Amino acid sequence: MMEESDLELFAQSLRQAIDRHKGENLDAALAEIGWFDALATDAQTAIAALFPILGTANASSTALEGVLAVRLNASSGPGRVVLPALDGWEPPGVRDGDLLTVRGLLMGPVDDGEVLVIVANGADGGAAAAAVSSSLLNFRTVGGMDPAARLMEVTGELPCPELSSVEQDTWEQAIALGRLAIGYQIVGAARAMLELARDHALNRVQFGQPIARFQALRHRLAETLVAIEGAEAVLEAGVANTTPFLAANAKAIAGRAGRTACRHCQQVLAGIGYTSEHEFHRYMKRTIVLDSILGSTARLTHDIGAQLLSVGHLPESLPL
Amino acid sequence: MDLDTYRTGLDQWLDEHVAELTPPYAGVGTMQERVDHLSKVRRLCFETGWARWGWPEEVGGLGGSTILRAYLGEALASRGLVDPNFYSTPEVLAPAVIRAADPRLAAEFVPLLLSGEEYWCQGFSEPGSGSDLASLSCRATRGEDGWRVTGQKVWTSFAQFAQRCVLLVRTGTQESAHRGITVLFVDMDTPGITIRPLATIDGSEEFAEVFFDDVPVPFERTVGKPDGGWAVAMDILPDERSTSLWHRGAILNRQMDELLAKAPAESLSPTAVGETAQLLLGFRARSRATQYRLASGERIGAETSIDKVLLASAEQAVLDLVLEGLSQQLVLGDDAISAQWRADFFFSRAASIYGGSAEIQRNVIARRLLDLGPDR
Ligand SMILES: Cc1cc2nc3c(=O)[nH]c(=O)nc-3n(C[C@H](O)[C@H](O)[C@H](O)COP(=O)(O)OP(=O)(O)OC[C@H]3O[C@@H](n4cnc5c(N)ncnc54)[C@H](O)[C@@H]3O)c2cc1C
Repeated sequence: MMEESDLELFAQSLRQAIDRHKGENLDAALAEIGWFDALATDAQTAIAALFPILGTANASSTALEGVLAVRLNASSGPGRVVLPALDGWEPPGVRDGDLLTVRGLLMGPVDDGEVLVIVANGADGGAAAAAVSSSLLNFRTVGGMDPAARLMEVTGELPCPELSSVEQDTWEQAIALGRLAIGYQIVGAARAMLELARDHALNRVQFGQPIARFQALRHRLAETLVAIEGAEAVLEAGVANTTPFLAANAKAIAGRAGRTACRHCQQVLAGIGYTSEHEFHRYMKRTIVLDSILGSTARLTHDIGAQLLSVGHLPESLPL
Repeated sequence: MDLDTYRTGLDQWLDEHVAELTPPYAGVGTMQERVDHLSKVRRLCFETGWARWGWPEEVGGLGGSTILRAYLGEALASRGLVDPNFYSTPEVLAPAVIRAADPRLAAEFVPLLLSGEEYWCQGFSEPGSGSDLASLSCRATRGEDGWRVTGQKVWTSFAQFAQRCVLLVRTGTQESAHRGITVLFVDMDTPGITIRPLATIDGSEEFAEVFFDDVPVPFERTVGKPDGGWAVAMDILPDERSTSLWHRGAILNRQMDELLAKAPAESLSPTAVGETAQLLLGFRARSRATQYRLASGERIGAETSIDKVLLASAEQAVLDLVLEGLSQQLVLGDDAISAQWRADFFFSRAASIYGGSAEIQRNVIARRLLDLGPDR
């Protein structure tokens, strides 16, 4: 664990890196600062330090893949791991006899011949990981909702390479950490939206007064802060004790908070919030994209509800 | 005393004495039965020391972190041994009295409260002053040898069972608003006090109207400075949204757990269950962090309005789900357990009213936490 003061310094250098660099350069800068090393020693602390800032800066990075890589023991650097396809959390690969079929996402472009880790489920149910050269796969640069997110869609059908088995537990842990990371990123984006809306409310004058005086708007912004703080509290609990249950809930709660921020902040911003000229739209789009990676709020919530109903019991969580 | 030692010891003690500590009545019971049972639980917890941990030694406590108090209430509520609505009043009233009152007053009365010998009530709201508390008009004038109080309070929980009242009175002019308010610590058996219980929406006489007709109160019973009552009252509000809310979280967990066990198959939508569980988790995570901030000696303030909004939303969601899943009992049931669920359902509606309404909490968040400036 890092000391409080070291952590503050670390966060400061992360913030500087994010201000100065974009895309691959940002990933290289993060590596240089030692973020990937921090991730390997104390994943939770590294996640909580970086991802909120990524969200607030609306930055794109492959750091999320690094988070999975660390749990899969796949890399000690900025390892590239193919993420599950949109909205899901099943491994992106499927093994069938000698064939490996891949359908998943990446958080940034890949170099020719770069090695990607692909986790695949077999017909026997067990998961395994393979290291595959990018030259064997097909990539599509995603435009979609948010081109600046730099997502890549990965597909492929290839002769099954050499595999090393992955415990079910390990995959679940990797997903859990990834969910905390995305949750933090969404919360960072939500805070940025709230700040934009707050600023606007204080400066925009209608009926001879700042619109911040109107209670209907004050309550929307208050509601947004409540959602953000609730989500952050659960994320912090997930950092302290990363169980799959807590992490899945934390991501869903953060996703919902993100959508709450989108709704209320856009309403406060009104016309200007409906443009591509104001910053707001970037955060709104990124929030929606992030929400749909590793399980959307809607899917996770339904899944958790179904689990609770089938066990007929609320698992003990968050003891003092 | 560290939390883990306390937890292990308390859990064991509760397991051993569960028969004695379990309410002798099924479901809600009458108000008198509830009071009698709570007094007994408090006495047992005080005699064994469990209820003394976390309170200062000057008021009969054994010292130690406030976390111990949070855990005691949680342990009792989650086993169904106490009703936190009833149980948590000391958490709301005692800390402010300890901070602001003459130390001798606190030393005399707080132990009686903690040991279940006495009950206190909170005389803040009035017919003309609910959310706008600073407009209150129950008046205290200076007499020869003490205050004379005349006026009315309303919605005073458990007034008819209370020996003392932490009472907010007007001592300045009506226009002085929050600058002319004083807190008095009043004996409820003083001549001139009349209590008229009010039936709540579930039929129980949980709160009352309290009338004061030229009631004498000694000057020594002033808590804080004359005309300095607003600061004391504002100091109580964060206490209303910290330890006692953690206790409510414990009962909500229990209710949610019971609902999951008892709701007929197919009666609940997975999405609604998931979302409700998440609201509860969000509240508990936030409140848990507040418990640790409080324990570290931090003064808590306006940020607890967030805890309160989260609680009210979670509580109402849980009980909405109960109404959905256990509608047979809530709508048609005439047994004690059904009555308990109904009472819980109705009480959840109050979560956005008492201790500062949902709207007032949002006003506080907008003004104090988001710094949005004045609203008019
Ligand atoms: C179960 C229960 C127990 C209680 N126990 C106690 C007790 O022990 N002691 C005690 O003193 N009081 C107690 N109360 C009273 C409680 O504190 C008040 O009900 C509360 O402060 C609201 O006051 P009111 O009911 O007069 O509503 P009002 O203040 O009249 O409010 C009516 C509506 O107007 C809204 N409103 C008011 N002002 C504003 C504003 N500025 N902006 C936006 N909306 C606004 C409110 O949110 C509410 O929706 C209890 C209440 C309940 C329900």
